[in-house]
Amino acid sequence: MLVKYIARRFFASVIVLLGVTLITLVLMDRTRGTYVPGIDLNPSLRPEDIARLRADLGLDRPFYLWYLTWLWGALHGDFGRSMIDGSTVMSHILDRLPNTLELTGTAILIGLVISVPVGVIGALRRGSKTDHGLTVISVAGFAVPQFWMGLLLILVFSVTLEQHGLPWLPSSGAYSAVNGGDFLDRLQHLVLPATVLSFFYVSVWSRFIRSSMLEVLSQDYIRTARAKGMSERRVVYLHGLRNALIPLVTLIGLELPGLVSGGLVVEVVFGWPGIGKLAFERALQYDYTTVMGVTFFAAVLVIAGNLLADVLYGVLDPRIRYG
Amino acid sequence: MIGQSRVAELETPGAAIEGASTRPAQSYWNESWERLRANRIGMAAGVLILLFALIAILAPLFSLLLTHFQPQTIDLSATFGTPGSPHLLGTDELGRDTLTRLIWGGRVTLGVAFLTVAMSLTVGAGVGLVAGYYGGWLEDVLMRLVDMVLAIPAVFLFILMSILFRPNAITLAMIIAFVGWGNVARLVRGEVLSVKQRDFILATRSIGARDLRLMVKHLLPNVLPVMIVAASLGVGQIILVEAALDFLGLGIQPPTPSWGNMLSNSESYFFHSIYLVIIPGVTIFVTVLASNLFGNAARDAFDPRLK
Amino acid sequence: MAAPLLEVQDLHTVFATKEGMVKAVDGVSFELNPGETLGIVGESGCGKSVTALSIMRLQRPGKIVGGKVLFKGQDLTKVTEDEIREVRGREIAMIFQDPMTSLNPVYRTGWQVAEPLRLHHGVDSKKAMTSAIAMLGRVGIPSPAQRARDYPHQFSGGMRQRAMIAMGLTTTPAVLIADEPTTALDVTIQAQILDLLRQVNREFGTATILITHNLGVVAGMCQRVMVMYAGRIVEAGPTTDVFAHPKHPYTWALLRSIPRLDADRHEPLKPIEGLPPSLVDLPRGCAFHPRCAFKVERCTRDVPALLPVGETQLSACWVTQAGGELKGA
Repeated sequence: MLVKYIARRFFASVIVLLGVTLITLVLMDRTRGTYVPGIDLNPSLRPEDIARLRADLGLDRPFYLWYLTWLWGALHGDFGRSMIDGSTVMSHILDRLPNTLELTGTAILIGLVISVPVGVIGALRRGSKTDHGLTVISVAGFAVPQFWMGLLLILVFSVTLEQHGLPWLPSSGAYSAVNGGDFLDRLQHLVLPATVLSFFYVSVWSRFIRSSMLEVLSQDYIRTARAKGMSERRVVYLHGLRNALIPLVTLIGLELPGLVSGGLVVEVVFGWPGIGKLAFERALQYDYTTVMGVTFFAAVLVIAGNLLADVLYGVLDPRIRYG
Repeated sequence: MIGQSRVAELETPGAAIEGASTRPAQSYWNESWERLRANRIGMAAGVLILLFALIAILAPLFSLLLTHFQPQTIDLSATFGTPGSPHLLGTDELGRDTLTRLIWGGRVTLGVAFLTVAMSLTVGAGVGLVAGYYGGWLEDVLMRLVDMVLAIPAVFLFILMSILFRPNAITLAMIIAFVGWGNVARLVRGEVLSVKQRDFILATRSIGARDLRLMVKHLLPNVLPVMIVAASLGVGQIILVEAALDFLGLGIQPPTPSWGNMLSNSESYFFHSIYLVIIPGVTIFVTVLASNLFGNAARDAFDPRLK
Repeated sequence: MAAPLLEVQDLHTVFATKEGMVKAVDGVSFELNPGETLGIVGESGCGKSVTALSIMRLQRPGKIVGGKVLFKGQDLTKVTEDEIREVRGREIAMIFQDPMTSLNPVYRTGWQVAEPLRLHHGVDSKKAMTSAIAMLGRVGIPSPAQRARDYPHQFSGGMRQRAMIAMGLTTTPAVLIADEPTTALDVTIQAQILDLLRQVNREFGTATILITHNLGVVAGMCQRVMVMYAGRIVEAGPTTDVFAHPKHPYTWALLRSIPRLDADRHEPLKPIEGLPPSLVDLPRGCAFHPRCAFKVERCTRDVPALLPVGETQLSACWVTQAGGELKGA
């Protein structure tokens, strides 16, 4: 049962992945026609040099050939080389990936730790002042632009504090270039960007958990549980929460792509050397192979995230497992 | 049977007065609108957004009558002014009036947001309705397509698009809508699936109604609440996306003001004027907040289960 | 006669709604003796379920605003949370209408059936599971050891309801309250479940309160019956007597409205005219009078009390209390 379910989802995912890459490359195709590698470095290239460079990079081949060649390479993890510095795209990705994972992983963790209790409390004390207060904070948090929040935090905790001679938090990078790299140093650098990122998660997830809990608590089996004479705590946590968390798992699984793309703005604002920032910088420099590689990677993560969410859902909900 | 007894009751003198009282029946729409109106915070939020939209549309008028400035007017003698007269919200690094730029920027930001929502809803609802209604292979194909579009990492797409061609408001709206319509399609299809189960669809079909008629006249009104909620929440989300893009330099380019790009320089000039950092940010925050509050209120009003 | 097991005295439960205060239970009094089966009959919204829930203090968001529920020397409306929890599931068990939604979908059935034992008798999981499996077998579920490991959705409707009954009985409670236990089931399965309930009553001696809107179910199952209307009891008595000669116009009309196989096929059906009253805005006097075929002037003024009419029955009707007879076409 479960195996069939997973297999079906996997197959669908593959199709989706192919589709995504196709769409993305179609869009990318527009640069291909006019891009001249190295034009920034040497504006006085002769036409024949240009033609040679383009031919080397295979920029003149018909689209389907280009797409298939690229796809073949991609499936082997070969995204070609950066057009700027010549090193492989994959090495760039692997270089930056851990940083991104560090940041978003931490943010998701903090998000979970805070939003589950907040959501549960909001559901249990529905309508009370506590609930209203928490709701206000959640709704507000959902409306704050991430880049603005980052900006403000930097201005307050980095710039202003430093100005006044108080201990301040670093505003960019994952670790200090000089004498840095140890755990405490990394932690210091992590604080501000992780706060900004997790703020968003907490706002969304706590509302979600609250409404999921409310729905679960109105179910008949909760009434049955109470009729069996168990304590309210047992009813809520053992019988209620277990059901309420199932949809959350799906939500988090869908956040997986956010691991890469969601953090992009935060990475740029805080100069965090992750994949998002990589894509952003390289895009501005027209390094399309790198951008393509990162995009593909992100698309794989999106699809993997969906698949993971579906699988987890299937595992946690016995109705699907033994359906 | 019931009609008969009502008549019987009226015939018996006095029965109508001491008879059983009944609650007046109310249609789903009326009940929902009443619930929405009762939610004062939500209504206030909705009014606020409309107000902002109105101000944005009438931007030239406000420029002329209220602030007496144009958004591009440079005045190097009045840089980094603090709020007061004549610059009600101060000025930026080139002496341009902040309030004026805020109003004109609202034009861009809100314009993109509403346009995007309109496009997303149209395409998304269309696809969702067709997919949900017809089912079968058509639904599978359409939903796979939706999966594909949604799987495209939006951020990277934006980056790609923006370097390919410098977007103006309309193309920006198209790009964001392209990425977002998938969610609407999924939502609408889900609603259609649940509405489709209800017997009145079968009944309508059994009297020979054509597909298109069924979809438009019967399914659509039932799906509308979900769309309204999605639209209200969507406006806020799109404003955030648009502002982020502008901030990164991928969206609307200066000197055309938008709330996002008004913030991109402000970090460098923070020492000179903190208002430059605060004012556009607060504006975005308030607008998105209003959109969220209204969207939540709409959702509470239209969801029959939350009674 | 032995002392009654459960005594409800003038119970009042209300719900606060937008339209006003709904008097769901409006002065209900009755007794339940050990081992007997009592049926509570009435239309939807008449307050029968709320009465049962109020006994167990599960009536939230409603509030019990008056009356007593005497059980084993305690007034259940006044005891503490902890004390009522001791009673729930252990002394008084309740099973509900829809077994699909009344069982937690994410836990195995056996585990749920064994839960009251673990909770109330402090039995360890293994022993509790053994007892649960035994009980599942006793309620007629084949291969109980395997079935105990299944999830609720893997059971058929009838089997699920049997599992719920098993769950209610594991602690051998003194009282079992069944709220519309057969309404969500096929007719053929209904009969089986009713048989099971009768068997349980005989073998375990559990006093049973059966709540239903179906007169046929009551006839087959309950020794005594109470008819409720608009939050009040309008008639009570031994089932055979009440059905043979009803002493309240509502009961009379209910019985008359049931289509009969042996009736002349051209005879029109006889529904009760009118609609049930709004519980926020009850009519003056007897709540049934707007729909009553026998009403007199007094019915529009004074609320009738539940008083003996005839040898064994109680009825809340001015007409029959004064000796009037209920006859009609």
